[in-house]
Amino acid sequence: MKRSSFRATLLLCSMFFTATIIRSQQQKPAKPAASQQPKTKSGEQVFNDNCSRCHTPPMAISPRITGTIIMHMRTRARLSQEDQERLLKYLAP
Amino acid sequence: MGYCKRYRLLIPVLGVLLIACPAGAQDSPPPRVQTHAGYIPVIAGGAAYVYNANGGVPTQLPQINPVLLVPFGSQFLLESRTSFTGFFQRENQTSGPYKGKVFKSVDYAQVDWLLDSHLIFSAGKYILPFGIYNERLVPVWIRNLQDSPITAAIGTRNSGAGDGFMFRGVAVQSPRYSVQYTAYFSARSDINQLEAARTAGGDTSIYLTQPRLEVGVSYQRFLQQRNINSVATYISWQPRTTPLDLKAEGDFSYNGRGYWIESAYRFQQLPIPQFARHFQAVARMQQFFPLNGGGNSLPTKDTHRVDFGLNYYIRDDIRLISSYGRSFSSQGNANVWNVGASYRFLFPLWPGRKK
Repeated sequence: MKRSSFRATLLLCSMFFTATIIRSQQQKPAKPAASQQPKTKSGEQVFNDNCSRCHTPPMAISPRITGTIIMHMRTRARLSQEDQERLLKYLAP
Repeated sequence: MGYCKRYRLLIPVLGVLLIACPAGAQDSPPPRVQTHAGYIPVIAGGAAYVYNANGGVPTQLPQINPVLLVPFGSQFLLESRTSFTGFFQRENQTSGPYKGKVFKSVDYAQVDWLLDSHLIFSAGKYILPFGIYNERLVPVWIRNLQDSPITAAIGTRNSGAGDGFMFRGVAVQSPRYSVQYTAYFSARSDINQLEAARTAGGDTSIYLTQPRLEVGVSYQRFLQQRNINSVATYISWQPRTTPLDLKAEGDFSYNGRGYWIESAYRFQQLPIPQFARHFQAVARMQQFFPLNGGGNSLPTKDTHRVDFGLNYYIRDDIRLISSYGRSFSSQGNANVWNVGASYRFLFPLWPGRKK
């Protein structure tokens, strides 16, 4: 009984994961040509790539505290100094 | 013989340093950019109230976790997180008035030295970087489900933190991928609020920017009493086109092995009314199998658990949370309910000068 109910929930979970993966694949945008791909990341890209890996990115950060927050995030997310500077330019230009 | 075993621990630590240092030497950090960013002390963190019912026993869990951030110039940062967690249960578990107390603990208190573009040195009490959960997902405003995975106890003995030093950073970086690393050593401590075990270990992960996929592995050697190796592998994926967050981790240790898979989906792209797009559906399944009798905060019997959650983001910093979980074990099955709210805050400690 226990096993069957666990298997049922396991099946439900796997269906949920499969559905979300298929949906994301269906919405995949056209891949830009290799020559069109930017050679460096923008501050916005660094922000979107790194913040959302762990949490919902904040809608706004006061420029007065941006430097401190980005230092903290550089340590937590193991960012390079280049990424730190791109984030500073993006969030407090 | 014992020395050989001890020195073997230094090999991975030296390995990451050898990778990191030349990488840092190749490109010296560019001059500081001119921005309007301010560097004043900040209080950040989260607060939450959670009503939990586990196996029919209700518990009220209010908590606040302030994080103090004090920069010293552009290279040093003092950071510390303290947790104040209330634990209130009914006098007779299911009847009578609520009674309990508030527990306080210093989760971490460390100084970070941003040495180089590729190297950060931290010293003090730091969160053990084992797996993806302990270091990244523990804050109450981040976690999608309020209950920790069963395997969160692996690699985090005794307090989830270490006392000592840590090297971390990005070893290699390109527009397409980056390789991050962490190496640490912790000394044993029984000092109040600084409890830690003697451990050494490291973590490394590769992040592919285009698919937003991260794959990593953590290793820890517990160097007290019985020397224990613990290993974790994890994956994290946030596809660009879908508001999906998929995370999974597998852990192996002397006391057991297990895994968890968690998926969270925001409704923001669905063709539904605007207010309903703030919902987030979460599902997590996990299994744990004890080895050598289990123990050390791990179950002693095979345990399976599923959790389903539904969160509602009123704003990006205020969230209503709810979840239902069912735990299956030969020691008894149990339903676990959680309902509550979480809030993330971010305040300057004093008014800073606007540039």
